[in-house]
Amino acid sequence: MNEQSNNGLAIEAKGLVKIYEGDVLAVDGIDMAIEANTIYAMLGPNGAGKTTTFSMLTTLLEPTEGTAKVSGFDVIKQANDVRRQIGVTFQETVLDNELTGRQALDYHGRLYGMSKESRVEKISELLALVELEEAAGRVISTYSGGMKRRLELIRGLMTNPRVLFLDEPTLGLDPQSRARIGDYILDLKEKEGLTVLLTTHYMDEAELLADRVGIIDHGKILVEGTPAELVDQMGADVIIIQGSGDSEQFIEKVNALPYTEMVTSADGIIQIGVGSGSRRLVEILSQAHEAGYQVEDVSVSKPSLGDVFLKYTGRQFRD
Amino acid sequence: MNAAITLWSKQMTKSLRNQMEMSGMLIQPVLWVVLFGVGMGSLLGPAVPGGEDFYITFMLPGIVALTASGGAIAGGSTWLNERLQGIVKEYLAAPIPRLSILFGNALSIVSKGLIQALVIMIVGLIVGANITSNPLAWLGTFVLVSGFALGFAGIAIAFASSTDNPGAYHSMIMLFNLPLLFLSNSLYPLETMPTWMRIASMVNPTTYVVTGSRIMLIEDVSAVADAATISLWLCFLVIAIFALLGMWWGYSAFRRSIK
Repeated sequence: MNEQSNNGLAIEAKGLVKIYEGDVLAVDGIDMAIEANTIYAMLGPNGAGKTTTFSMLTTLLEPTEGTAKVSGFDVIKQANDVRRQIGVTFQETVLDNELTGRQALDYHGRLYGMSKESRVEKISELLALVELEEAAGRVISTYSGGMKRRLELIRGLMTNPRVLFLDEPTLGLDPQSRARIGDYILDLKEKEGLTVLLTTHYMDEAELLADRVGIIDHGKILVEGTPAELVDQMGADVIIIQGSGDSEQFIEKVNALPYTEMVTSADGIIQIGVGSGSRRLVEILSQAHEAGYQVEDVSVSKPSLGDVFLKYTGRQFRD
Repeated sequence: MNAAITLWSKQMTKSLRNQMEMSGMLIQPVLWVVLFGVGMGSLLGPAVPGGEDFYITFMLPGIVALTASGGAIAGGSTWLNERLQGIVKEYLAAPIPRLSILFGNALSIVSKGLIQALVIMIVGLIVGANITSNPLAWLGTFVLVSGFALGFAGIAIAFASSTDNPGAYHSMIMLFNLPLLFLSNSLYPLETMPTWMRIASMVNPTTYVVTGSRIMLIEDVSAVADAATISLWLCFLVIAIFALLGMWWGYSAFRRSIK
């Protein structure tokens, strides 16, 4: 439908601005050009303007300035056409706890005017996709967080959308559920030809899923590219150390070294960013020894998106 | 319209599954009839036409109106919750008219109000209210009550769309609700009131839903309070205008809230 007007772009935004009541500038001139059948990840800290951008593209909010098209339709002038083309899941879990999973899907389909036969068919197909057949008859209040997210994902798919918008689709889920949802999203792109715009807090997820990533802060896209492009421009190495003992003193010592760019420690893993990993490795390991920290495993690797994020936003990405 | 019916059906399914809501919804009006109607009968009864034994008959339409406005307040609260939880976003992202979102919710408020009205009238009959069993009169009453509930639902939705704070919503709406009950002829006839109260009651839609219901439900016209001042057609007219204004207010507040 109207394919010729979108130049192969599933999402196109020009100069999007949103100013909330009280002169709060949430989005400050965002341009986007997302090709059909790709996955685009918006990365950014809370309050960066991700959800506001998301809301404008999904027709929930009117932009203060600028224009945007989804599947070739204007989000303001052709809002209902846009709505018929998209599937959306929100950051909050937006489910009625009193309904069963099947009812939630059915009501969603009814809202879009789907016939009973096509609803029944689509529901059983989608329940199978995310392995929720057994739970479908239970009320949603009995679902785990991961099940709710899977249900919301397929609710967004009920109406055969061309573009899928996922706002933090895996927020608060355990790694297993996250990986599962990630697999479904990849499948949807590859098998169904969907375009997916997602926002996420998880760097590894963006790296794994996205064809292109946009890092957004203070209402602007600071940098955009494929995950590989973004990481490559960092040029530096990260030394990853696992071990036991007095990590605090070790970190202090490493921090005092002139060439240390950053040190993080989480889950017993210490990451040290340096200019050249192989040149600095020996000295850093001797610091560990002095601090009484027993190194059990060490590796030198190229930086991740998380480091890119730090570079552009000046803050550590916490997930 | 299809979307409004879908949303209505969804709200009703949710409520029917919620046993606490259902039992509260059904027991509360019964308590009103029994505790207030029977209890206050001896005190207020002498003031109403028809006398003490007639008080329960007199105040039954008032309880129906009170319950309908209470239902609208609860409905507004649900609306506020759905807004705050983000459930409304699911509807906003769907290709449906914004008005149907409002209508679906208002219709479910009206439906629950009607179920309650039916319960109240049946309980009224059981405890000895002297109302007709003519189905046309009951139907007419339900039409009036629907209009009243619709108008009040619009007001509640307007309040619920204008604040993000459930506490603020409840205190504002109670401020609105209380005079609607007491500055009307629900509990005592107009002629027993001081002039200022009578004037306030005459501009209160509650007076018209209550008087209209009395005219239709009470067979002995001489026992209907205020029938001489207010005619049945005027009741329908006022309630129709109230319903339209309420919905219009609710709709414009809702539109503002999604800007």
